[in-house]
Amino acid sequence: MNISPEEAARALSDIEASRAAMRTTIRGFRGHYYLWLWGGIWAAMALRAEFHALPGLRMNPWLIYPGIMTTFLILLYQGTKIRSPVNKRFLGVLATIVVFSFVWPMVLGHSANAKSGFAYGVLVPMFCYIVAGIWFDMYLFWIGLLVSALLLSSLLFFPALFWWSVVLCGGALIGTGFYVRYFWR
Amino acid sequence: MDELDATIHQPARLQIMAALCQLNTLRQVDFTFLKTKLNLTDGNLGAHLLTLEGKGYIAVEKTFVARRPKTFVSATAAGRRAFDAHAAALRAILKSK
Repeated sequence: MNISPEEAARALSDIEASRAAMRTTIRGFRGHYYLWLWGGIWAAMALRAEFHALPGLRMNPWLIYPGIMTTFLILLYQGTKIRSPVNKRFLGVLATIVVFSFVWPMVLGHSANAKSGFAYGVLVPMFCYIVAGIWFDMYLFWIGLLVSALLLSSLLFFPALFWWSVVLCGGALIGTGFYVRYFWR
Repeated sequence: MDELDATIHQPARLQIMAALCQLNTLRQVDFTFLKTKLNLTDGNLGAHLLTLEGKGYIAVEKTFVARRPKTFVSATAAGRRAFDAHAAALRAILKSK
């Protein structure tokens, strides 16, 4: 098959146009919605706890349950356009982490401290982020590591600033969401 | 040296392969969504996908989502290799100009 250099140039420009259009499309189907949603929820939960102490924490289910429902709705919407085949091994790993995250506190005894309880609740999904990052996209690994380190250091060394560090972690998730949406690959 | 692939070179198929190869290897795209993105008709896209599937360049998976039939398409490893080779051949022609 022989073609002229002009035709080759035209074909290459068509390829680039098609790639660029798909890149823009793919960016709309990444994990940024989840990062924005949960970053916002964490920040709201931490601010309530900081300014209303424990009564604020009791409001958490009103934020968490709609958050979980919205997460599933996003998952369903994105899965109808661009999807990844279900990775059963990865789902198995996630299910194991979640199940054991309920078992460990029962074995060790529940924490009466609201801050360490909240930190535990955040560290479990961050553990999932790190595992997902190793499996799929490295940005999940780095955000999981960053949030875990930030949260643990404030819990252990600056407990007075704990809720503000959670707000910062929520901000880090939201910021990562913007990075993933507009700049990642 | 890489050679041009007549199957991929057809403009619509070139667009389809460029779009599919842009996706992560594990990802699949919905037929209707792809049709809208590439401005093709149902029949046109369907015919080109059949040609590409026949060559083993793409994989087509038919499934049901909320009881509705859905078709998902993805580029195969052979398709990605063939597309990369075709793009390299096009660049070589430009260089030899």
